[in-house]
Amino acid sequence: MSGIHGIQISKSYRHYQVLKEVSFEVAPGICFALFGPNGAGKTTLLKILATLQRPSSGRFEMMGHDGIRDRDRIRNFLVMIAHGSYLYSELDAVENIRFELSLRGRTPDIQEIKGALDRVGIGAFSDFKIRDFSEGMKKRLAIAKALLIRPRVLLMDEPYSSLDEKGMTIMNQFIRDSTGQGAAVLMTTHNRAQSAEVAHQAGVLQQGVLRKFDIKDLAAGHELF
Amino acid sequence: MNFFNAIRWIAWKDLISEMRSRENISSMFFFALIVILIFSFSFSMDQQSARELMPGIMWVAFVFTGIIGLGKSFTAELQNDCLENLQMNPVPRGAIYLGKLASNLLFITVVELILFPLFVIFFNLDVFEKIPLFMLILIAGTFGVSAVGTLFSAMTVQIRAREVMLPILLLPLIVPVMIGAVEATGSVLRGESFAFYGPWLELLIVFDLIFTIVSFWVFDFILDH
Repeated sequence: MSGIHGIQISKSYRHYQVLKEVSFEVAPGICFALFGPNGAGKTTLLKILATLQRPSSGRFEMMGHDGIRDRDRIRNFLVMIAHGSYLYSELDAVENIRFELSLRGRTPDIQEIKGALDRVGIGAFSDFKIRDFSEGMKKRLAIAKALLIRPRVLLMDEPYSSLDEKGMTIMNQFIRDSTGQGAAVLMTTHNRAQSAEVAHQAGVLQQGVLRKFDIKDLAAGHELF
Repeated sequence: MNFFNAIRWIAWKDLISEMRSRENISSMFFFALIVILIFSFSFSMDQQSARELMPGIMWVAFVFTGIIGLGKSFTAELQNDCLENLQMNPVPRGAIYLGKLASNLLFITVVELILFPLFVIFFNLDVFEKIPLFMLILIAGTFGVSAVGTLFSAMTVQIRAREVMLPILLLPLIVPVMIGAVEATGSVLRGESFAFYGPWLELLIVFDLIFTIVSFWVFDFILDH
């Protein structure tokens, strides 16, 4: 059973075709790093996989479930870390996590939440409202949220953006832990150095077409696109 | 049960956010206050004329005030892309609708309860014996506006001209609520029996039931498209 399986996914906005029959497979325990120039369709692909948009044609499966027909089911084991922090400004860090976990039918334990915040280095800000958080702190809070949800599929759009060096280390540790526990991870990124530390597979999305390349090229510094 | 838990948590989140920002209730309150002042200074009324005019003026103020609150209900979810997160969550769509409806109903009712005594004072009305009846009409009318308004707030949230589109779409649909609420309020003010205001109250209750059920069922489609 594959973690994420894209089958000839195409997406068009009016006459512009963003994705052209993109097919790929990310097995459980694997991190796939997706590169590509701005406007290549990376975020569109993630939004389709996150059930936020529908493909114009093609389909995808997650953990063996059809991504469109069974979207309610796949939402149970899917987490996306994106540019938007998905956090409510007037709630504090603990309240935001409690809200998220509660919507997922979990009964959150405050100590468990504070433990996750400590792990990502923002435990001291647990009762601070999100409106007072920097972008980097919001990203760390998103990691803490995902740590507690323990998703089987993790989608990440530019996971290293806004993070300082320590934050990037935390992010990579989180990705390693997630793949170690069998999660399928698909991330879009421009950060070759950081992603080379955790990615098992890599590809470039350019003009709507996905091309895989050898993971060794990621660290080697060859021109990707 | 996750369904009722989700309703509770969504309403809780809106309530906490509003208690801390007071953005929604204060803008609704000051708008309605200005409407009351303008109407009370524009007409010099004896008590007989006030009894005739007050129901219409009051419900126009309440409905427009409600539209301000309803407009902000889902736009608040756009901040930090929280709406995307709600869409990706495995929570039943009907629960999101009912949670939002509960918080909207609460905010609008609170503002109305503050404004109602001001109407009584400015229009010099003797209504103290009929307060329970007024409250019943007020809640039934507000429920109808909130039931349809919550749905339309979600429908228009992604539209650029949402501030204009919400009232344009909502007002024609809530004409039965306006007629029912104004007629019932007027009848109670005139001291008429249940035989006069009863049918209008029934109209409001039937409208509330039908539009809550319809909105509940179509909300899945609205949020996912």
